[in-house]
Amino acid sequence: MNLTIFPWMIAVPLGASPLVYLAGRLFRPSWVRGLALFALLLSWIPFVLIFTGQGMQLSFNVETIGLQADGISLLLAAVTLALGTVVVLFSGPYMAGEVGEEKYYAMLLAMIGFMIGLGCAKDLFNFWMWFEAMAVSSYLLVAFYREVPASLEAGVKYLVQSAVGSVFVLLGIALVLGNTGSLDMDEIRSATGTLPQSGLALAGAFFVIGFGVKVALVPLHTWLPDAHSQAPSGISAMLSGVVIEAGLIAMLRALSTLGILSVSWGMLFLGFGTLNMLFGNLMALQQTQVKRMLAYSSLSHIGYMLLGIGFALSDGQQAGAQGAAFHLFNHMLMKGLAFLAAGAFMFALFHQNQVQRSLEVKDLAGAARKYPLAALTFSIALLALGGLPPLAGFMSKWQIFVAGFQSGNGWLMGLVIFAALNSVLSLAYYAPVVNMMYRQKMGDAIEQGKSIPLAMNISLVLLALSIVVIGLWPSLMNWLTEPAGQAILSAFGQ
Amino acid sequence: MTLDPLNAVLIGVILLLAVGFYGLLITRNLIKIVLVLQILVKAVVIALVLAGKASGQPGLGQSIAATVIVADTIVAVVALALAVQVRIRFGTLDLSKISSLRG
Amino acid sequence: MTAILVSLVIGIPWIGALILWRTSDEAPRLQHTLAVAFSIAAGLSSLALLPYATSNTVIDIPMGSVFGNLTFTPDGLAVTLTIIACVIGSLAVIFSVDYMKGEAQLSRYYAFVLLFIGAMAGLVLSGSILFMFFFWEITALCSYALISFYNDDPKAVAGGIKALIITQVGGVGLLAGALITYATLGSYQISDLINNTESMPANLLGLIAFGFLLAAAAKSAQFPFHTWLPDAMEAPTPISALIHAATMVNAGVYLLARFYPAFVHVPGWALSVTIVGLISALITAFMALTATDLKRALAYSTVSQLGYMVYAIGVGGFFASQFHLLSHAVFKALLFLAAGAVIHAAGTRDMRRMGALGRQMPFVRNVFILGALALMGLPILNGFWSKELILEMGLTHGPLWAYVGMLLVAGMTAFYTLRMTWLVFFGKAREALHVHETGIAMKISLGLLAIGTFTTWLLAGPFSHMLQQTLVFHSVTELTTLELVEEILFTPATYGALAVVTLGLGIFWLGRKQAAVGKEARFDILSRESFGFEWLNRQVTSLTLQAGSALQKTQTGKLNWNVMGILGALLAVLAFLLWSA
Repeated sequence: MNLTIFPWMIAVPLGASPLVYLAGRLFRPSWVRGLALFALLLSWIPFVLIFTGQGMQLSFNVETIGLQADGISLLLAAVTLALGTVVVLFSGPYMAGEVGEEKYYAMLLAMIGFMIGLGCAKDLFNFWMWFEAMAVSSYLLVAFYREVPASLEAGVKYLVQSAVGSVFVLLGIALVLGNTGSLDMDEIRSATGTLPQSGLALAGAFFVIGFGVKVALVPLHTWLPDAHSQAPSGISAMLSGVVIEAGLIAMLRALSTLGILSVSWGMLFLGFGTLNMLFGNLMALQQTQVKRMLAYSSLSHIGYMLLGIGFALSDGQQAGAQGAAFHLFNHMLMKGLAFLAAGAFMFALFHQNQVQRSLEVKDLAGAARKYPLAALTFSIALLALGGLPPLAGFMSKWQIFVAGFQSGNGWLMGLVIFAALNSVLSLAYYAPVVNMMYRQKMGDAIEQGKSIPLAMNISLVLLALSIVVIGLWPSLMNWLTEPAGQAILSAFGQ
Repeated sequence: MTLDPLNAVLIGVILLLAVGFYGLLITRNLIKIVLVLQILVKAVVIALVLAGKASGQPGLGQSIAATVIVADTIVAVVALALAVQVRIRFGTLDLSKISSLRG
Repeated sequence: MTAILVSLVIGIPWIGALILWRTSDEAPRLQHTLAVAFSIAAGLSSLALLPYATSNTVIDIPMGSVFGNLTFTPDGLAVTLTIIACVIGSLAVIFSVDYMKGEAQLSRYYAFVLLFIGAMAGLVLSGSILFMFFFWEITALCSYALISFYNDDPKAVAGGIKALIITQVGGVGLLAGALITYATLGSYQISDLINNTESMPANLLGLIAFGFLLAAAAKSAQFPFHTWLPDAMEAPTPISALIHAATMVNAGVYLLARFYPAFVHVPGWALSVTIVGLISALITAFMALTATDLKRALAYSTVSQLGYMVYAIGVGGFFASQFHLLSHAVFKALLFLAAGAVIHAAGTRDMRRMGALGRQMPFVRNVFILGALALMGLPILNGFWSKELILEMGLTHGPLWAYVGMLLVAGMTAFYTLRMTWLVFFGKAREALHVHETGIAMKISLGLLAIGTFTTWLLAGPFSHMLQQTLVFHSVTELTTLELVEEILFTPATYGALAVVTLGLGIFWLGRKQAAVGKEARFDILSRESFGFEWLNRQVTSLTLQAGSALQKTQTGKLNWNVMGILGALLAVLAFLLWSA
């Protein structure tokens, strides 16, 4: 068999995007939800076939555009499709009747397609194209509520900072091109051994900064709390659960092509990881808005992933790379669920009552009495983020921690202890939210809240169940995380 | 001492970048920010052409430079569209006044 | 069979928790019935496990990649603690039927109680350090949820989060120990760790040993982490009984007891354990002397008694410590539940407002006195035998200064226990509190525990036999109950200790008129501040928050500044690359 089926993962959402837009414009806006969901379900077929089919071709070329799927691409595809599907399901009632609903779905589908494409690009410049396309579609989604000043402000900052990042990525590409005369990742990798390293090191620095803006490395993160808290909740979930991770994967891909300084990059990641964890947690501790708090907690979770990758690159720990991949997947589930649950509350408490404001922690007082399911799933998400067993976040953090200790290096072990203390610190802001929801006295906002629609509840339950099941059976995701971890290590020649 | 043309272009690129970043640090007007971003991107475009030339792949450098111009136009359009909305909602383009999200 | 029983002991309460979570708060009778049924079923299955105690691993499930195997080993130590958790837990549940009558959100209450019991059983039965930590964290979560059960009350919320954070900080020690074990041995099995202590690098083994001591101290509220337990008194009283007697705080002592054979040769470890136990016992006994809140006084006494157990492990009295754990679980549950009955009836926890309540609630008074006598360590109640055994071990195997300290604690214990009993049940009625005798469910729990206080010391023989038979690594000398009685009765040290206890009682008796008139206030500031540790806690909290608000200033919302961050980071990365090249 010589079938190339994986590009369909990219083609289906990208092709569906304009169709959904047209369907919304020409026919009925209410069709778009079903159509978008159908398109995403269709994209699962090639994904499943990759894993069931034997000897499936995993590279594809049209003229100079090449695509190639490896462990990292499949991880990104899985994460994107999984959360994308749930978010589209969730958005059905959430976005119903909004002006520009068809644009929302069209952009979301396009973003999903671009992200999967990003994971599969094998040429550095095409790679940038996917990245930029993903970024543009996300700018539009962040500033979707264009009548709300705060969300415009967030969109503007996000756009300008990402554009600066993009300039750095292009500078890095120019340096690589100038030094090697090629843009194909494999060719660059084989060529770099004989070249002077200073130019490539500079290119690497540009890649770290350029993609780092998207990954929200501290101190490049300043756009993130704004953008993630102001976007429509489904988009917040996608941004926190997938887009910043896509940035991380993009950064790893770009750096790995340089084929030099792996250990230095590893140490750099450890440094940024430490900074991200501490900064994200301390800032989240100060927040009173639910979504802004969640946004800051994304910083700290990126820190854990960076830590895992740092252990892998600086010390060759496979458990680190695999743990980072596992945490990336789990973070998609946990943060996706947290943002969607926050969105469900915003929908029931505010949107349904024609109120336009942000969700404060104290608005949730007594939520469990009226919305037991949403409160329970939100609690599961928060406690999983805080790393409590038997939930998924505990297991992936543990895997990263194992990598640190297996190195036998005192500094790395110290970093693990630091990360564990950070997890404890994070409980200081997750736990009060849970506590608030289970109060006996209901707050005004809850009292006046309307009901949460079934489609939203289904999406919350799907994610919450996955978190519990993976927490109880952590090796369940090995089929995905193990190849991804190996791919990261081998890309860096470890 | 004569200046190698490639180096001259490189110096031009660095100057453009310097102008661009300096602009980003001091400019408060959103439209000017978009202009400054364009300066940065133009610097990059030249850098790409230069890189292609320097590595003996001028065709490759020029083709991706052209693609960057196209892609960046889209970004500029989106940025300007946001700027229009900002002007409508905030009544100003002064970024120092558009900073409600902090802390 | 054993495997089935082990799964039942953990599974029954957890399934019960799930079911109770789903019950409606509109049907409290159903909730009470279900909770009692599930907890009794768990208690019975834990008792059924007793004859099957074995040193073998009965359940062994590979978890894949770096998660080792999920194993359960129901040896004598594990089974004993499981029974304490499940049986005393079920008595607390029965007590709750009366105590929590008419309270809202019973589904949340009972679900967490059952989850707590199951998690504690899992913790002690687990043969893998990773899964021990797994259950350890779940107990932390449950204690948090239950301490702040009355979460409209800010004090309860603060107490809960304090317990969570402090025990979690200590838990990092357990986490580090588990990770070191896996990194060096490739396994999380407790038996592998104890078997391979010789071949492990000494510094790593030392890290594990002190990491575990840290974790145990935090969980058992020992010095310097003792500040969370008194604040946990905001919980409903059955929860205090559960935390103090059945579940939470025993975990720390269990951890030290379980790993004693592995760490005993680590230089300084045993001495550190002794000192931690001694200091905890001393300072909290001092705090209990002047406490005016009935539950806080009991809470201090718990820390103090746990100090005895920790001290016993430090001086090598493994059996004595576990024997005292058993006695303490029974009489402290009795004291807490009796105190709960008083508080429930009187509507206050302030002992200065009570007095002469014994006439109105004779049953509660009688059982409370029984528990108090056991706490003082007077014959022939269970606390006497176990405490004397610890003191004897301390005298013969430990340093003399520590023994003198513990003897002093025994005297102080007698003093504050008598003071507590006196203030609540005897003397003059300082306020006209309208109290009533307790309900039937409360009486059942109290009665059973009172019988236990009289009799559990008779189990010393079978208990030591079981430990000797099923523990591979601990050296337990098997002795019959009769031998124990002889040993204690014919040791002169026993009479010395009794003399100190009598001295403590006498001092209070002479000064009883002074009690409860407010002279304590002069010393009270010391105990309310936990000898400065409350100040330390506040400093840590406020420093963290200050750091947060200082960082908040970096999020200016100004785009120019944000771009500055990007360029600054670029310079930092370049500098790093230059440095590393």
